[in-house]
Amino acid sequence: MNPRAIRYGIDHPTLAYYRALVAEHGSPLLVISRQRLIAQYQTLQQYLPHVAFYYAIKAFPNADVIRILAEQGCHFDVASEGEIALLKAHRISGRHTIHTHPIKKDTDIRAALRGGSTTFVVDNLDELKKLIPYRQRVGVLLRVSFRSDSAAVDLSRKFGCNPADVPAIVREAQALDIHIRGLSFHVGSQSLDSATHVAAIHECARLIADCNRDSDNPMNVLDIGGGFPLDYADAQLDLDAYFAPIQTALTALPDDLHVIAEPGRFLVAPAVTGIATITGKARRGDYQWYYLDDWIYGSYSGQLFDHVHYPLQITRDASNLEAAILSGPTCDSIDIIAEDVLLPTLEEGDLVIGHMMGAYTAATATRFNSLSGAKILL
Amino acid sequence: MKDFHETLYDAVGQSYRIDKLYFEHKTEHQHLMIFHNAFLGRVMTLDGVVQTTERDEFIYHEMLAHVPLLAHGEAKRVLIIGGGDGGMLREVLKHQSVGHATLVEIDADVITMAKEYLPNHSAGAFDDPRAEIVIADGMDFVRDTAQRFDVIISDSTDPIGPGEVLFSDDFYAASRRLLNPGGVMVTQNGVPFFQIDEVINTQQRMGAQFADQTFYSAAVPTYYGGIMTFAWGSDNPALRTLDNATLQACYDAADLDTRYYTPEIHRAAFALPKYLSDALARAQQ
Repeated sequence: MNPRAIRYGIDHPTLAYYRALVAEHGSPLLVISRQRLIAQYQTLQQYLPHVAFYYAIKAFPNADVIRILAEQGCHFDVASEGEIALLKAHRISGRHTIHTHPIKKDTDIRAALRGGSTTFVVDNLDELKKLIPYRQRVGVLLRVSFRSDSAAVDLSRKFGCNPADVPAIVREAQALDIHIRGLSFHVGSQSLDSATHVAAIHECARLIADCNRDSDNPMNVLDIGGGFPLDYADAQLDLDAYFAPIQTALTALPDDLHVIAEPGRFLVAPAVTGIATITGKARRGDYQWYYLDDWIYGSYSGQLFDHVHYPLQITRDASNLEAAILSGPTCDSIDIIAEDVLLPTLEEGDLVIGHMMGAYTAATATRFNSLSGAKILL
Repeated sequence: MKDFHETLYDAVGQSYRIDKLYFEHKTEHQHLMIFHNAFLGRVMTLDGVVQTTERDEFIYHEMLAHVPLLAHGEAKRVLIIGGGDGGMLREVLKHQSVGHATLVEIDADVITMAKEYLPNHSAGAFDDPRAEIVIADGMDFVRDTAQRFDVIISDSTDPIGPGEVLFSDDFYAASRRLLNPGGVMVTQNGVPFFQIDEVINTQQRMGAQFADQTFYSAAVPTYYGGIMTFAWGSDNPALRTLDNATLQACYDAADLDTRYYTPEIHRAAFALPKYLSDALARAQQ
């Protein structure tokens, strides 16, 4: 988990804007920035030119985010019937989706087809065989596992086949008359080193070339997943250095290999800001406790499920700092947002701003204590 | 949205220009559109799949209505499952011999919408005194009704979707029970070039219910992929081998105004391409 970044002080226009939002809509809030979302999309386009992006809806399943990204030409990665329904309600054609959940029920497949999503990810023969009844309608991406030692979230333990098994699965698919369009991989999330990504690109390109050599129905898609890192720790993350080796690896690929990616976090995390309000304070032992109206079961659930500490901004300057704890409102002892942080003296009604709160925040919030979640605004 | 892209198949697909959007209904469960296309006229799509267009609907409706009705020769009572656009009802009621046609549509809104935005499909058929409109699930209707019919026409959507149950063993069995002796059941059965399994499944399921089960076909241009198959089930094998003279006599007696159907087309439609008859034969082994 990244170290906690605390930012002290805030400029007046920004504070006035946040206060006005709270006055109008209440607290807590999650505020989407259209401008920031588009900027992240464009940043990724610059780092990965010629790559088609499929936004991983699961990161922040929100209609405004989907609409804005669709306007930018983004496609969508769906993993459930609910996500397909969200797209359908916004008139986004299933043509622009891939279904990436490797394990599916027959009803999931049918719902996806009905939603127009015809490209499916599988990682083993049993899953491949579930597509036999639909073989003339579907295309398949075969997910390959590459472990990253440095990823914060390991996505290659649970899913993905061994690279050595790829040729046999591709041959079996051909025998079943199911077309494997290409390979996909996920090296995990928040890795600060792109070496695993690069190695996976090279290995997949080699596997595709090998398989295509004796195939009359060649693969032509490489899905490089997501997991592109973000600077949650205010640590001056060097994205140029991270992406340069990936760019080099992609440039070396054959021109007729279509590269796609499934960014979720990278697009949406910086585009959403959390606003919570201090609702009470207490002195307990060596610590000054502050109680917020957002909580670990709400927008801050990602601290548990996603292993991320969001950068927090205090509206007061860094003077007379003392050891403090920012806590959620529930009586549960796990409901702590920030343990042992240095804070100036805060007062009831002060706002606490959570930055980069777009990915896996509202998405994993619960209804514990029958508290309704943060309201989401654009 | 400037274009409609059909989402049936991963590797290929057709797209239509949307020249004017007349109607759109989108929910989490379905997305229905009716739009104008300069060549095709009004086009209705459901969940990314073309359902019907003004330009070529006559092929589909004539072939699914007139083939069983003229083969039967004296059908008086007809049941249509689905067909909320009214095109099938229109063709069925062209037969003066038909005294009663029941149309069972699951969604009343489809009929309301079709009357307003696809009026040429029904062309007044909903107002014909011989027509009875029932809003019900087609499966429930065939299971529960006490009525009997000479011809049953299943005018359903794709089996992946709301029409799924209309391709089930239960549906064929319950429909069979509603047919008078010598009756015929026909169903929409997809484009076999892409969906061969649908034909094979129907052969197995429908074939188990009828003494004689086969398919006939017609190419409907906007159902992309070549010929569409129609499944045929009857306990009277003679009905599908009528000679041209008999069909011509029936056609003349019925005094139909058709644009696709002819007695020669009728007879020829039962000839299946070899890839299809081979696949059906293999599945039967």
